[in-house]
Amino acid sequence: MKKRLLPLIGCLSILCTSVLFSQQDYRNSNQINSALRALVSRHSSNASLKSLTKTIGNKDIWALTLSNGKADNNPAIAIVGGVEGNHLLGVELTVKLAENILNNHKDILENTTFYIFPNMSPDATEQYFRKLKYERIGNAKKTDDDRDGVVNEDGYEDLNNDNLITLIRVEDPTGDYKVLEDDERIMVKADTKKGEKGNYKVFSEGIDNDHDGVFNEDGEGGVAFNKNLTYNFPYFKPGAGEHPVSEKEHRALLDFLYEKWNVFSVLTFGPANNLSTPLKYNAPNAKKRVVTSILKEDENLNKFISETYNKITETKEAPKSITKGGGFFEWSYFHFGKLAMSTPAWWPSKIKGDSITKPSKNPKASFLQWANEEGITDVFVDWTEIKHPDFPNQKVEVGGIVPFKMLNPPYQKIDTIAKKHTDFVLEIAKIQPSVSFNNLKTEVLGSGLTRITVDLYNSGLIPTHTEMGTRSRWLRKINVRLKLAKGQEVISGNKFQLIDAIGEDDTMQLTWLIKGKGNLQIEAGAPHTGTEKTTIKL
Amino acid sequence: MKLNIYTITVLSFLFFAPLFVTGQSSNDIFRAAGTPHNPKVSIAFNKYYTAEGLAALSKKIADAHPNLVKRKSIGKSTKGRDIWMMAITDYSVGDPDRKPAFYVDGNIHSNEIQGGEICTYTAWYLTEGFKDIDYIKEMLRDRIFYIVPTINPDARNDYMKEANTPHSPRAGLIALDDDSDGLFDEDGYDDLDGDGSITQMRRKSPNGNFIIDPQDPRRMIQISPDDIVTAQRYEFLGNEGIDNDGDGRINEDVYGYYDPNRDWGWKWQPDYIQRGAYKYPFSAPETRAVADFILKHPNIAGAQSYHNSGGMILRGPGAQEDVSTYNRADIRIYDAIGKKGAELLPGYRYLTVYKDLYSVFGGELDWFYGGRGIYTFSNEIFTSYAYYKKNNGGQDERYKAAKDLLLGDAFTKWKSFNHPTFGEIEIGGFKKNFGRATPGFLLEEECHRNMVFTFYHAFHMPHLSIDAITEKSLGGGLKEITATIKNDRLIPTHASQDLKYKIERPDFVSISGGKVMAGMIVNNDDFNVTTEQKTNPEKIKVENIPGNSVIKVRWIVKGGSKYKVTVDSAKGGYITKSL
Repeated sequence: MKKRLLPLIGCLSILCTSVLFSQQDYRNSNQINSALRALVSRHSSNASLKSLTKTIGNKDIWALTLSNGKADNNPAIAIVGGVEGNHLLGVELTVKLAENILNNHKDILENTTFYIFPNMSPDATEQYFRKLKYERIGNAKKTDDDRDGVVNEDGYEDLNNDNLITLIRVEDPTGDYKVLEDDERIMVKADTKKGEKGNYKVFSEGIDNDHDGVFNEDGEGGVAFNKNLTYNFPYFKPGAGEHPVSEKEHRALLDFLYEKWNVFSVLTFGPANNLSTPLKYNAPNAKKRVVTSILKEDENLNKFISETYNKITETKEAPKSITKGGGFFEWSYFHFGKLAMSTPAWWPSKIKGDSITKPSKNPKASFLQWANEEGITDVFVDWTEIKHPDFPNQKVEVGGIVPFKMLNPPYQKIDTIAKKHTDFVLEIAKIQPSVSFNNLKTEVLGSGLTRITVDLYNSGLIPTHTEMGTRSRWLRKINVRLKLAKGQEVISGNKFQLIDAIGEDDTMQLTWLIKGKGNLQIEAGAPHTGTEKTTIKL
Repeated sequence: MKLNIYTITVLSFLFFAPLFVTGQSSNDIFRAAGTPHNPKVSIAFNKYYTAEGLAALSKKIADAHPNLVKRKSIGKSTKGRDIWMMAITDYSVGDPDRKPAFYVDGNIHSNEIQGGEICTYTAWYLTEGFKDIDYIKEMLRDRIFYIVPTINPDARNDYMKEANTPHSPRAGLIALDDDSDGLFDEDGYDDLDGDGSITQMRRKSPNGNFIIDPQDPRRMIQISPDDIVTAQRYEFLGNEGIDNDGDGRINEDVYGYYDPNRDWGWKWQPDYIQRGAYKYPFSAPETRAVADFILKHPNIAGAQSYHNSGGMILRGPGAQEDVSTYNRADIRIYDAIGKKGAELLPGYRYLTVYKDLYSVFGGELDWFYGGRGIYTFSNEIFTSYAYYKKNNGGQDERYKAAKDLLLGDAFTKWKSFNHPTFGEIEIGGFKKNFGRATPGFLLEEECHRNMVFTFYHAFHMPHLSIDAITEKSLGGGLKEITATIKNDRLIPTHASQDLKYKIERPDFVSISGGKVMAGMIVNNDDFNVTTEQKTNPEKIKVENIPGNSVIKVRWIVKGGSKYKVTVDSAKGGYITKSL
């Protein structure tokens, strides 16, 4: 009896959360997991959920597949959230995007498959839901961040007991920091070249537990998802890991993606942003053996995709893209060769300002101005004096921007953000590479000889292969294959041929001279462009 | 009585049988200098062993010497074979896990097989030589060897048992789609003449560019534009094979292709930059097993991998772009060992990969050094110098050696064959065991010389001792205790690459037996220049104990008497001494 009731209660609780209450804050792993399970059970013919692995912290790495039931047969977009553990928004967006597609745009699945990885940093995102909140990005692996032979000997301390890790500032004429003129709550480095002198030292909140003069340099560090990939790997930096792709979650995701030949694009929700502003081509860096610039053709593509993004999402004035080495977005382009897209999806907009208040150029001050205008009050911990054991004779204060607030908007704003990003993703799916036969012509030359000519047309506004993709072994070339009936013979032309790429809205003419009668089948395509077949009666 | 005689006969048979099997009774043999005498395990080093053959030999060695060998699988290959490792040391002395360790592996490239035999020879020599060669005894007292004869057992077997050239397969056995047609490894070589090797195909052709050498029917001569040729012309059609998948090409999707030696985690680059890279560093299970093993054994201070061929002792950097990683201090150490190697291995040259071979990312030796701070060499085993003990080489010499030294065994004579695409052709050429693999009669020498090179390297791993502990009274119950720590070998506890990135933790020098008031590193004893460590002064962090030098650590101690000093170094070992 009890057992029977349980699923009912489960259903009810799902109903309750989705209908009766609207969610007020970001969801933790358990809540995200049940949302995913509920989604898959409601749309079982179009959605499937698979745990790729469990992290060291015992959290699932989910792969959610949305398709028409034959996932491998359509070109696919991979969408990745939780790339940085402090970016809770990315996790929510992937889930809401999946919900939007399944609830409102199922038709798109006829031609496009989506592989969605809601959270690549589940060990780290949990820090938001713990009693002590700080912006954690590392997983649960024990790491010796300062490489001194002692593990986790100097972590944060909550000195003012507000359950938040912010900053401490120490009044000290030898310090390098000063208050910002625009907003005296913000500490900035003094610029001696402009005649400025610092009068504060600034550290993250805590004490120097191991008395090495460095604050909080070796706490519960872990390996950060977005620092452990192969492009420009930051060797031996805290959070990077001992070598690229050292963690289970990295291997699981990459193994999955490398086996999915139908993926033509990867959308990353993270600190890198090539959607607001496209990447710029740099000839010397593009021509080196180790390529560090977007390639020329891909620059044009990025420009077009970026314009599409800005138009659909109506976003502007994005902060500078952040790429620090070992990042996922950079991997998805430079090492995976796919159409790579990345955005943090939200940032505080600049205030318009007036004659008294000017929009600040300092990102933190600008954020506080925005929060003020929006009437959001819980974004700053005011500086309060405390006693600090490391500075017994100095004035020490705790304060600063509340963790997570600058990267993650108030939860109520997410639905709109998700909707706009869904529209953008739908647009990418609509213009995806798609090859088809056009202008098929058969000329009978007599004596059993037939000349066949056909245009292989990419009707997408995205080329079949990025320029980088044409170099990569992980994007299959377009295969063109003749299937001859008995007695048929190829007199001229290739029975099998490979095409490197077909540009957007471009064609490649194919021609054969065939001897014989009966049905001749021509097949062309690649997993990420779709495959077209046609039969000709000779 | 009869029964007794029968019993004695049986017993004596049982007793002597092992000796008969190994060849001789000890009375009948005379010691050859430098070779273990009358070993417990007899192994012939004039032949090659399959993965199973090597596994059986390592088991025999381990079973015969339980106090010197622990044998363990460090992981599974692609096809599920164990990757066997022998950890060899004198287990009766010290903590084996804390002894400075030397790592050796072979056969990362499938067809480069000699490493398997050199590793086995090394393990055999260490265990059989232990009882009466003092050098070995001391080596195993102070060091541990981790020996992995093949880190590529699947493809070692494939090379030996399947249709291959001397150059194939280089990859492991993960199937890949080399020709981008959606099929994996669908068109490999075919041993059309059934000689066990992939040789060459040639066809008579009026327009061909080759003729048969009138002085040596094995050889083909290329025709120059001005030659007037009356002999039968031939054209070459490449390696033996047919168009298995009917795509109009022959042998275009063989095993792999990926290269296990482009799969390592230092400055790794993807396939379009570094041909042969697989998915990401350590994406092949064999390399992953080795990397995991290395990461778990920070005591490894020196390493060696074996390839073939060409007679080279190689150090990094692999890539031109990585030149700055190898700095002067470390290159001096590499040079000292490498040059000794060139002396021990006549015909071999000590070279640098990126400038003398090719510029390449993702190699094993680069990860060992760049990623772990371990001085590592790769030897390219065998050079044609070995045939006539002189440099000259060239094709002529190969043909001569194959005829006169190997008595024709290495060549498959040209024979006609009816090919499905090419029609009437001829197949023949050098067999796969010629050119790269050392011929049997030279193999033991090659094993021995390479082994002693690794011993020289292993000997020069850090060797720490607490040279002196001195005590000086400062009055008021305070004493100044100074410990002198000596490293009397070439290699420091931290390579300069290691120091640059703090790859390995510092060495810890600690004192017990009194209340420590202060602790410091003595930079200059004569002028009393010291650097104090303000926290945890009883455990002084020492960045490095350089080669052939001493460091001094000092404490100011109150009370106590029986002071004990401990040196705890990941690569230098763990030692203690009491005052």
